[in-house]
Amino acid sequence: MIYFSEIKNKRVYTEDGLLIGTLDDAVFTLTETPQIVKIVVKPLKQISQEALYIPHQYLLRMSPTVAVSKNYETTILAENELFVFKNLVDKQIIDMSGQKVVRVNDVVIQQKNGNFFFIGGVDIGLVGILRRFGADKIIEKVSAFFGKGLTSTIIPWSNIQPLELTRGKVVLNIKQEKLQKLHPADLADYLEATNVRNIVKIIDLLDKEFAAKVIAELNLNYQISLLKKLAFEKTVKILSLIDPDEAVDILTQFSSKRREGVLKSLPRDRRSEIEHLLKLEDTVVGQYLTTEVLTVKSSDTAAKVIEVIRKETRDMSFLPYVYVVNGQNQLHGVLSLHDLLLQTVETPIYKFMIQNVIVIHLHTSLYSVFRKLIKYKLAALPVVDVNKKIIGMITMDDIGENFLSKI
Amino acid sequence: MQAFAAKYKRRLLIFLMVFGPGVIAAVADNDAAGVATYSLIASKFGYAMLFILLIVTVLLAVTQEMGARLAVVTGKGLADLIREHYGVKISAMIFLMLFIANMGSIIANFAGLTAAISLFGLPKAPFLLLAVLFMTIFVYKGSYRTNQNIFLGSAFFYIAYIAAAFLAKPQWETAVYNLVLPVGITFSREFIFSAIALLGTTITPWGQFFIQSFIVDKKLTTDKLKYEQAEVYFGAFLTDLLSFFMIVAIAGTLFIHSIPINGAAEAALAITPFAGQFASLLFSFGLINAGFMGAVVISLTTAYAFSEFFGHQGSLDSPISKSRSFYLLFLIQIIIACLVVLSPHISLFRIVLYTQGLNGVLLPVIIFFLLRFANSKNLMGSYTNNRFYNYFATISCVVITLASIFVIMGGILGKI
Repeated sequence: MIYFSEIKNKRVYTEDGLLIGTLDDAVFTLTETPQIVKIVVKPLKQISQEALYIPHQYLLRMSPTVAVSKNYETTILAENELFVFKNLVDKQIIDMSGQKVVRVNDVVIQQKNGNFFFIGGVDIGLVGILRRFGADKIIEKVSAFFGKGLTSTIIPWSNIQPLELTRGKVVLNIKQEKLQKLHPADLADYLEATNVRNIVKIIDLLDKEFAAKVIAELNLNYQISLLKKLAFEKTVKILSLIDPDEAVDILTQFSSKRREGVLKSLPRDRRSEIEHLLKLEDTVVGQYLTTEVLTVKSSDTAAKVIEVIRKETRDMSFLPYVYVVNGQNQLHGVLSLHDLLLQTVETPIYKFMIQNVIVIHLHTSLYSVFRKLIKYKLAALPVVDVNKKIIGMITMDDIGENFLSKI
Repeated sequence: MQAFAAKYKRRLLIFLMVFGPGVIAAVADNDAAGVATYSLIASKFGYAMLFILLIVTVLLAVTQEMGARLAVVTGKGLADLIREHYGVKISAMIFLMLFIANMGSIIANFAGLTAAISLFGLPKAPFLLLAVLFMTIFVYKGSYRTNQNIFLGSAFFYIAYIAAAFLAKPQWETAVYNLVLPVGITFSREFIFSAIALLGTTITPWGQFFIQSFIVDKKLTTDKLKYEQAEVYFGAFLTDLLSFFMIVAIAGTLFIHSIPINGAAEAALAITPFAGQFASLLFSFGLINAGFMGAVVISLTTAYAFSEFFGHQGSLDSPISKSRSFYLLFLIQIIIACLVVLSPHISLFRIVLYTQGLNGVLLPVIIFFLLRFANSKNLMGSYTNNRFYNYFATISCVVITLASIFVIMGGILGKI
């Protein structure tokens, strides 16, 4: 995730290193998931006075440097588009009842599904103000030294009424007392939860077979929270349509009562297939589980994590990933050692960890574990329990051995 | 004829409804520090300073009117506008400076209050704490209307100075003559600095923030703009009418008999032989009133500015639970001021001097913002300054800025 103040006024280069100008603003669409569709570049003085609007298709990256492809084209502002800086930053936030809440100190931008950028929320905390002064890092360090963590406070985008923005107002859709203020590391979780709500809305409209296809593509966590929210008949229908393997993954997460209920309602041949697979799910994963995993906190800096690796992992046989957990040991993110080395030392982990973690459970079949490892090209998968708490991990080489012996 | 009367009656009613912020903001400029400045200047230069007072009145009217117009048209305080147009960095820096400068002014007002309390022979610590308690109750418990009426009541008590002036039996002809004609003006360094001090005590950064926030809190709409403008002009006139009487009272007694003084309380004591015990009493009472009003208004200004800069709810009409930072900041300031005044080791003279310097630095910046906003078509639509008015406003602002630079230079060269 990126804070807008971190990229404001940064130099914008083409991929072959030609300086175009400085980043002045960004343009987003007024939707429930506001996407950054254009960046506004203030060109070098000697070239032009007019701001350049470059569509996101040409945007290569926003952080740590801003780059666009060399054959970029420019465009103009379209309808239903607003500016991040001009329309959001420093503006007054008022709640539903017209109470003033606070001002927008910064805007949080999240990178998702590759190279797409979305507005995640607005930063309303003191750290947001300090960041605009460029003093956030120092103050964070000082506060950490005194043992008091100082982090951003964020209002998620789903709490803001998009329509009011066009009238120049930042209005919340709830009362101030009910406002959820989030820590940046929790933002992704929150967004997923709100997205599930959106997906449920969409799925209800979709043709069932198509819905099944969509659901099969989702992350397991998503699938479970989604199917818990859908009506019983719809759940049965979807489970009978998706890959039995996936269905088993989901069913093992249901309560035994609901699982029995769903199984009874499934068509007979589908039911026997799934029941067979369910029998195989006898904690087979457990035999291959290694509890030798490294977990860190999302607010730790890259430097701290590197230091932990140096000190505490001497005896570990294999360290493919570092897992990020919160205070309750719930898995929040993951990072590879490569990701870690690319960062500057003082960057906190939550800024670059991958938040959409592919996980497995103790009941996941070995076949499905293997498939996931191949599909996502991973060296290991974390194993979590029903509460998302990390138990251990399964590595590629352990599973591979099992399959080798069967050939 | 009846329709004619009815029309005027209606207008008068609207005017009375609007009445308040302009007069309060202007009269509060005659706070305890203001009274001290007038006393010092009048005892030194007598009636000669009255012509400067006339100029200052016009400058005050112009700057306050722009603030009032901005408040009514945009519905936003000066701090709101600065944050939205100049960003958080400038906002935070201005807030910090305003906070320190206001803190100094509040301390000066508490000092005036303490001096006046001692004049009555009362113990200062319990009475100061009582004053803090009163201020807190007014602001915490009172609505906008209650507070406005208390301020207006306080403004009314300035009448004490008019009475004192009559008791002093000054040379009225000389006074009026000096007011309209620049006969007494000299170009000595002392005179110029005194003239600037007069300007600086009347046109202040907090005054500019206060009038705008206070009108916004009153939630006036643009159809009332004409009335509000009239009220602001009346306020500026009234304020300097009161200053006129203060100066005349001192000039007619202390200046004539060339008695040097160092402060407002000393002046109150020193006029006794010439104007009588009652005049002295009125002067002391006036000082308590001025200190009280100044302290409350200035700390409210900081509280308003903080809520606007950082977007918190801040209104005399909203309950404490909703405007926590607003009320808390108000309380913190008066408590600090009270503690500083009660502590024996702090040089009040120095605090007042630094405050003047800081206000001198801040004022041109505030005036710059004021002109920019009042001329912005985006913000003001058809209510921007017209051309003639703009020339006039710009010249006024240049004069104020030059005066401020003079103060800063004087401070740097150590010549104040």
